Amino acid sequence: MNTVPKLASVRPPIPRAKIYGILAILVSAALAALFCYAVYFLKLDIYNFEDGSLQAMHSATYYALAVPIGLVTLFVIGTGFWIGWTILTIKVVPPMPEIVDKKDHSKFKAFLLCLFTMALAGLLLYGLYLRNFWALAIPATAISLVVLGAVFWVGIAIITTRSTLPEHKKES
Amino acid sequence: MKICLLSYRGNPYCGGQGIYLMYLARELVKLGHEVHTVVGPPYPFEMEGVTSHYISNHNYFNVKKNYIKPHKPFATLQPLNLYEFIASKLGIFPEIETFSFRAFLKMKEILKTHRFDVIHDNQCLGYGFLMIKLFGIPFVSTIHHPLSIDRSTWFEYPSDFNLKIKRVLYYPLIMQAFVANRLDRIITVSHDSAVEIHRAFGVPGKKISVVYNGMDSSIFYPKKNMKKKKNSIIFVGNVEDRKKGVIYLFKAMTMLKNKATLTIVDGGAPNRNFIPRLIDKFGLNDRIIFTGKITVERLIELYSQHEVAVFPSLYEGFGFPAAEAMACELPVVTTTGGALPEVVGNHMDTAYVVEPRDPEGLAGGIDYMLDNPAFARRMGQKARKRILSLFTWENAALELEKIYREVIIAHR
Repeated sequence: MNTVPKLASVRPPIPRAKIYGILAILVSAALAALFCYAVYFLKLDIYNFEDGSLQAMHSATYYALAVPIGLVTLFVIGTGFWIGWTILTIKVVPPMPEIVDKKDHSKFKAFLLCLFTMALAGLLLYGLYLRNFWALAIPATAISLVVLGAVFWVGIAIITTRSTLPEHKKES
Repeated sequence: MKICLLSYRGNPYCGGQGIYLMYLARELVKLGHEVHTVVGPPYPFEMEGVTSHYISNHNYFNVKKNYIKPHKPFATLQPLNLYEFIASKLGIFPEIETFSFRAFLKMKEILKTHRFDVIHDNQCLGYGFLMIKLFGIPFVSTIHHPLSIDRSTWFEYPSDFNLKIKRVLYYPLIMQAFVANRLDRIITVSHDSAVEIHRAFGVPGKKISVVYNGMDSSIFYPKKNMKKKKNSIIFVGNVEDRKKGVIYLFKAMTMLKNKATLTIVDGGAPNRNFIPRLIDKFGLNDRIIFTGKITVERLIELYSQHEVAVFPSLYEGFGFPAAEAMACELPVVTTTGGALPEVVGNHMDTAYVVEPRDPEGLAGGIDYMLDNPAFARRMGQKARKRILSLFTWENAALELEKIYREVIIAHR
């Protein structure tokens, strides 16, 4: 007499979408790790550092890296400054006293944000002028991690998305 | 003429843009033009004689969960979608910008089989339009009002620093100012808006044309044999929109001599805790009714059942709800915010008009209307006459036709 195999023992194949989701997570995580390792741990093996300076690097090579990274970073810092400046300088009618629950410190925080972004921009430009390794490495890390982080996030969403209807919905 | 209308949201129930698109397309077809629309979701209804081209988006800004579509799991990783996804997570509202690039790609396809005389955008002004302009077709845009006004009225309300950062990032003002100055003509819906557009975006006055919106008098009319509820007032609009000034109406409710009840018509409300908290604060829980989402027929019934309509806006580029209420012969108590005086007319003639942010004035106006029903009725009748004589979609389409011709001639 033939026996029917138990349903539980038959594993459905992993849907293709989930495989790509897992791949997106693994590849983005691996690239992020590789980037950090290359920039922060391999550096002494790659370049001949003198206090983190890239003076030994050919000028063309240096500016090929420094100009795009510097521009993108200045754009991000500039956006931060613009946000602070807008909050600091926007002129509006004060709110109705009845709806004010607590004191608003936004203007002070906006002032601090302006100061912080200006200092950061100054530091970046000075670091690039000195050809300091960190002036390139830190912004590049931040930008890369944001993009890779987004891909990682999407990957998580893909593998956690239900690709078929749940059982109770099928029945109804 | 062969006209292409662009609108990043096309459905008339999603706000003024959808209404504008629907009526303009219809009237332009009536005038004998060939009209195409390129629209984003929510899409408009099918319109007779209009060819619609649809552009999808993933709406990452509003959909926080389940944004991966099982049938297209990798769509989010496509460049434009990934940009939209990252920008949304950073608090930027990217729908307008990405629509403009998608519209460019769509136009590339459409232009293989069609040649337009003019392209008319509806308050999008994304960078992608500068690429569409390279096709060499005259390009105009309607700005209902500059979004800088939404931002500044939003800042009038208490909020923390993080929320303020989000608000600054939310409005794409730099992009819209940049693009507005590079199009062939800017059309706006009131003289007040024209001044604000010049102030906010620096568009020269000679490049701005004013074309008033219309009002569909076949839909909005006073219903006969409807009994008015005593001491009833009605507000129609998005209560979460800070420039609607609903808080001043709540304050005014506490100052009324007549114990009036307020009906709020807002499809989504109360969907956040901002408004319920204010209602608690002013002790108005037993005097406010939210209708939720209703049909236009029900809205007209409600206008006919209420004694006064109140629009306490801090600013309006035009003010559709006030015009609708007036078309239904309902006396309107409103403010001088933005273009409202252009729409509602003179104080004590076709509307009761007070300064914005004046709850005492609003309360005085509401009480006056409730205490003098004969006067209110006469005012309502005059109001309808004003709306029917000044604001029709036929006029709007004829004016636009003239502007299209001017722009096409100047473009040659």
